[in-house]
Amino acid sequence: MEPDRLVQSQPTVLERVVAFVDERVGLKTLQAKMLNEPVPGGSRWAYIFGSCLLFIFVLQAVTGVLLMFYYVPSVDHAYASTQYIIHEVDYGWFILSYHFWGSSVMVVMVFAHMSQVFLWGAYKSPRELVWLVGLVLFGIVMAFGFTGYLLPWDQRSYWATIVGVEIIDKTPLIGDFMARFLKGGPTAGQMTLNRFFLIHVMVLPAALMALAGLHIFLFRKAGPAGPFHGGVEELKAKTDYFFPRQVWKDIVAVSVVFVSICGLAFIEPVVLLEEATPDPGDYHPEPEWYFLFMFQLLRLKIFGGELGQFLGSVAIPGAFMLLLAALPFIDRSPERNIFKRPIALVSWVVVVLGIVLFTVSAVINREFLD
Amino acid sequence: MQPTLKSTVKCTDREVGEITRIIVDPLSLEVSHIVVGDGTGGQERQVPMSEVQQIVGHVVHLRIPSSEMGRFPVLNRDEYVTTHEVEIAHLEERLHVEPGEVLVPIPDLERNIKRRTFFTNLTHAIGILLGLPLIYPVMKYLMKPMYLPYDNRWIKVGNVNRIKVEDTGVQFKFRKKVKEAFMPEVEILKNVWLLKATPEVLDEVYKGKDMQFRDSQGSLIWTNNRAFPYVAYSGKCPHLGCGYKWRKVRKLPREIFLCPCHISIYDVSGKVLDGPAPRPLDPVPIRVSDNGDVEIIDVEFKAGVRDRIRIL
Ligand code: FES
Repeated sequence: MEPDRLVQSQPTVLERVVAFVDERVGLKTLQAKMLNEPVPGGSRWAYIFGSCLLFIFVLQAVTGVLLMFYYVPSVDHAYASTQYIIHEVDYGWFILSYHFWGSSVMVVMVFAHMSQVFLWGAYKSPRELVWLVGLVLFGIVMAFGFTGYLLPWDQRSYWATIVGVEIIDKTPLIGDFMARFLKGGPTAGQMTLNRFFLIHVMVLPAALMALAGLHIFLFRKAGPAGPFHGGVEELKAKTDYFFPRQVWKDIVAVSVVFVSICGLAFIEPVVLLEEATPDPGDYHPEPEWYFLFMFQLLRLKIFGGELGQFLGSVAIPGAFMLLLAALPFIDRSPERNIFKRPIALVSWVVVVLGIVLFTVSAVINREFLD
Repeated sequence: MQPTLKSTVKCTDREVGEITRIIVDPLSLEVSHIVVGDGTGGQERQVPMSEVQQIVGHVVHLRIPSSEMGRFPVLNRDEYVTTHEVEIAHLEERLHVEPGEVLVPIPDLERNIKRRTFFTNLTHAIGILLGLPLIYPVMKYLMKPMYLPYDNRWIKVGNVNRIKVEDTGVQFKFRKKVKEAFMPEVEILKNVWLLKATPEVLDEVYKGKDMQFRDSQGSLIWTNNRAFPYVAYSGKCPHLGCGYKWRKVRKLPREIFLCPCHISIYDVSGKVLDGPAPRPLDPVPIRVSDNGDVEIIDVEFKAGVRDRIRIL
């Protein structure tokens, strides 16, 4: 028995390595601090969206890097190299389609995440800064979608960019400069592709990583908001740590997200149109589905003409974002229960219905064009 | 055994107060002094650990009589930082004195507050001095391709014999040579819409005035004569820059120019019939040679504004 016990009391090599690293890095404390986050009122399915977004971002980064193994950001090779990825490179079609659908699902998740925070009243004091940084992150995700869309350099991407940049051009004072800055000239071309590529693969990822880190830091500093009803005692009784119950829920959600994106990539793989050129041919330009409602909005007569266009493309979206940013400072009542915040509930429903309505009418309008 | 905060402190003869703070040596990570006060915010004295005889639970016994307490220095709080304000590796594992303020002496060289403020300001000043002059070159660097001179070349786009009917839009596609920055010259496909206009339509297009085109310096490069029957519209929709088509739509009696983007509808004279477009279609400089060859200057205007502001 003696030697046996001796073996047992000796730490294994692995344990010794872990102990060695831990002593110098403090991994265990770090891990404990990460996982032992008390979730007031207990874990919930409603809290999965943040983790899903983080997961999607990581995979967008991975697939993005994979795509760059072949993609060339020049007007004479962007289209050909993307076609090469789709048709020649083994599983290229899948990586590209995953990246494409990943961005769509990311937008959906951002929307869900923001809705959850909004409906739960979790933007209120002391979480104002978490909300503000979150809004900037929302802008970054949209900018990712916009800049990435151009890179394949087919007709679809070209025209979405042309119209998008023209919209930016409508910003008072700085619009012309910003549009030229993005295009790298008076019209779209190599400089545009260069700039969009650089923004998409360097500037935005860096910004997103930094701000997502800040977002999580601020969130941990303020602590999770928890449910909007229930007394202190009840909350205390139901409180658990982030690990394992919430982590488990997050993992289930992340798996569903992953399988969904893969499914979309399989069912609807990316197919390019003709190579980009300033002659649209028979193509009817349209932006990606999540910008469709904006696109349809600009079709309205009241958003026509110089002033209308400024209203529709700059003033109203800008005012809406400002309103969201000001929200925690305007809405100061500590009440978080959405059923006791009728204005908030009605506004949310109106915005969602508006977006759905305009998106659907954009789709219906296609028929009119044929 | 480490002393804990709030412990009672006894001299050989009587109780002299409690431990209000503890001072640690940042190198050895040992407790170096206890700070003894009456707990009411009065004078606090620093007593070295060497004067501690023994610690029994929450009572600390000193080896001296209370009359000797006066020889220990009064605590100067400004000479210390708390352990929360300084990063000292492994200190937490060694100390078991919480809760309360655990102090670490500020190094002698760091006690001159004026100098610290000066250095903070100096750092900012240097940063600004280094950064500011960079803004201009960096902006110029980024802006290099943004403002290019206009392209006033005449480009052959086809022959008017393709136009069979008056007042009907006919698309002429053309290949334009472009040389961008470091790229080899390429040909890109563009289009213009041509029209053989009746006098009534011409009147609508030119409103009775010849149309002048200028270069970036403002000097005249070409004039479209108001009586010249051929009109060429830039292929770029004046709304937000899509491409439009000459076509029939269900609700309207005759063909019109329709932009599929935001459904702007223009009549043959380029006038906006419906949709969000802020101005009529843009005529571009056109000339037709004796054998019917058409040449245009590929002028582009800023989309989405009422006035025609040339950008290309
Ligand atoms: S771009 Fe032609 S209608 Fe909007």
